[in-house]
Amino acid sequence: MVNALTPTTTERAAPSTRSSSPAVDGRARSRRRQAVVAYLFLAPTLLFFAVFLILPLGFALLLSMSRWAGFDLGGIQPVGTDNFAGLFADGSTFLAPILTNTLLFALGTVVLALAGSVVVATCIDNLRFQGLWRTLYFLPIVTTVVAVGNVWKYMYEPGGLVNGVLNALGLGSMAFLQDPDTALPSVVVVQAWASVGSAVLILTAGLKSIPESYYEAAALDGAGPLTVFWKITLPLLRPSLLLVCITQFISGLQSFALITVMTKGGPGDATNVAALEMYRQAFSYGRWGPASAAAFVLFVVVLVVTLAQLWIFRRKEEDA
Amino acid sequence: MTPARRTSRLSRRHFALALPSALLASGCASHQGTGRPGDPIVLTLLSHYASGVLKEALQGPVDEWNASHDRVKVQTKAVEFTDLLTTFMVRQAAGQGADILHPYCLWNGQLVQAGVLRPAPREHAEEITRGYSEAAVDAASVGGQVYGYPTEVQTYALYYNKRLLREAGIGGPPRTWRELEETAYRTARRDRYGNTLVQGFGLSTVDDSTTVGQTLALLNAAGGRFVSEDGRSTAIDSPAGRAVFDLEHRLVVRGASAPGVNVYKAFRSGQVAMVVSAGWWTGSLKTLMGKDYRDVGVAPLPLPEADGKRATLSTGFMLGVNAAGKHPRAAWEFLRWLNTEKVNVKSAKEGGKATRMSSLQVSAGSLTGRADDMRTLLGAYSDANLRPFLDALAYSVPEPNVPGAQQAKSLLRKNIEALWTGQQSVDQALRTTRRQVDREVSRSW
Repeated sequence: MVNALTPTTTERAAPSTRSSSPAVDGRARSRRRQAVVAYLFLAPTLLFFAVFLILPLGFALLLSMSRWAGFDLGGIQPVGTDNFAGLFADGSTFLAPILTNTLLFALGTVVLALAGSVVVATCIDNLRFQGLWRTLYFLPIVTTVVAVGNVWKYMYEPGGLVNGVLNALGLGSMAFLQDPDTALPSVVVVQAWASVGSAVLILTAGLKSIPESYYEAAALDGAGPLTVFWKITLPLLRPSLLLVCITQFISGLQSFALITVMTKGGPGDATNVAALEMYRQAFSYGRWGPASAAAFVLFVVVLVVTLAQLWIFRRKEEDA
Repeated sequence: MTPARRTSRLSRRHFALALPSALLASGCASHQGTGRPGDPIVLTLLSHYASGVLKEALQGPVDEWNASHDRVKVQTKAVEFTDLLTTFMVRQAAGQGADILHPYCLWNGQLVQAGVLRPAPREHAEEITRGYSEAAVDAASVGGQVYGYPTEVQTYALYYNKRLLREAGIGGPPRTWRELEETAYRTARRDRYGNTLVQGFGLSTVDDSTTVGQTLALLNAAGGRFVSEDGRSTAIDSPAGRAVFDLEHRLVVRGASAPGVNVYKAFRSGQVAMVVSAGWWTGSLKTLMGKDYRDVGVAPLPLPEADGKRATLSTGFMLGVNAAGKHPRAAWEFLRWLNTEKVNVKSAKEGGKATRMSSLQVSAGSLTGRADDMRTLLGAYSDANLRPFLDALAYSVPEPNVPGAQQAKSLLRKNIEALWTGQQSVDQALRTTRRQVDREVSRSW
């Protein structure tokens, strides 16, 4: 069947090709030229990605399986998977408490920031001067982490504002950042507070995109505000919530600036997180191999967590 | 195409080629001079004297050298101390390391192992060994080989607030640990909410250097060492180490110390009775406390027993020559001129002479490991609080500088904090420190 049809096709195609050959050549040439121009326009971006993403990634992969003190490129010695094994060896602090702290820090930040931003965004959506409120909540984002960290550090201090309030209520003072049990939650609160602004911005945009007709129909059916929130607002806000959830979790897993300012990872290892440990291993101790290996482990954790979030939200969408 | 247009195109093309070349030449090329015969060699000196008194103090002698030497010129570059090691790494890896480096001696093992520092030539090594205190020479040496000229040396002693001690009915600073504890308990005060009003003995958690520094100073005073003689393991799990951990633990548990409070600010405000710290702090206290500085006293570190042998910690910096530098001979020559050649001291008694480095360090409120210079220079100053630090040059123990020393220090800090906050008992803290430090230090060799 195929054999019988083939000559016919060829016969039909051949005269056509022959008859339009100059036009096709011209089009092909033009397409090629367009492609060259497109690649030329893309070249700076591709070069940027090659220099700042692919090369460092490749170098980090090489370092994760090497021993290097950071001074002489000729001094890189391959060690296989020793660096990865070292991270999970008996007595290593990487898995616990460092990686555990990292996950708790990110999870705590996401939960608090998400809950806070949903409440704040819903309130703002029902208020006048919405732009003003959004700007106010966005202010922590444009403030440097160093300033935010230091201000909160003073507020948490034994004679600081938070303890002043506790004392005014007749309660004893707490060593928020000095007590290993309260240090991590205290920093999580600050990170969540600082993240609420961007989340509010995304969620208020999400709220605006929910058609008013749903709320009108719900009002006609006599639904109360809580039912409206649970049955209409929250489900239709899911794409915005997913975006907030993923971005906050990723930044939480990679964050270390706030911890550096507020606790430097202490007391002991109570607030030490993976990114801070990587920085120390590489830049303070000159152990670039373990630092790069830890970076790859963190990359896998971020990937797994992000995929898990996507999967959960998609399943919920399908269920809905 | 008109000639004018051709000219314009050519010049644009030339400009496009010339710009990256110029940027590369100015931004990336090392400053070794022009390379033309007869032109001077330009040496770069990278330090952490980035601002304030120290920057000006170093620039003075460098300007003097540049004015009096035609063949070799020196150019200073400075970054903040927190960026110093990273800058060494990045510049060295890029082949742009400075000719003269000014590292913290704690890093010497790491730098020597990475082949960054050049051993001092024999005549310089002899001069260094002869002219400086033993602790300063040891800090500038790795494996018995001298690698540079010691610059600032910090020894540790006990700062105390005379007014707070007087108010508690205590006549003078403690000389033994028992007296130190009694003084701490008698001077400590809290309000009814548990807020610390006065700490009897301040324990710093500000950074690695202050947290570990005070503990190692007490360890040395008790006759102990942090790292073993061969530098391959820790020696802190010893009777001396246990005594120090026990002392600090008791002070925290009984409320005489509140590690959460920033000791360096609280002492200035008269909220800390005693604290162990290094000599550099006197200059800062004098400036910030104004009239209240008269309440500040400094005494040698108390010993476990009154008849014990004196010892304390010393830390320091040194000036060394980059192994990758192109003009080592010129660099060593400049260092000799800066660190060993004696010049008249204006403020000293007639005929008083000291090295330029000693003069600049003292002018910035610091010390060097040259006891003779310090006697000449401090004789002209009236601050009696610097004396205990000067005396300590004779008996101080240098901070260990083996490969992995920075990580060992960080691990010790974490375990000290865990001890202070009740996460670990004294036994656990000693055991964990030994296990972690032994593993990391042995891995670094």
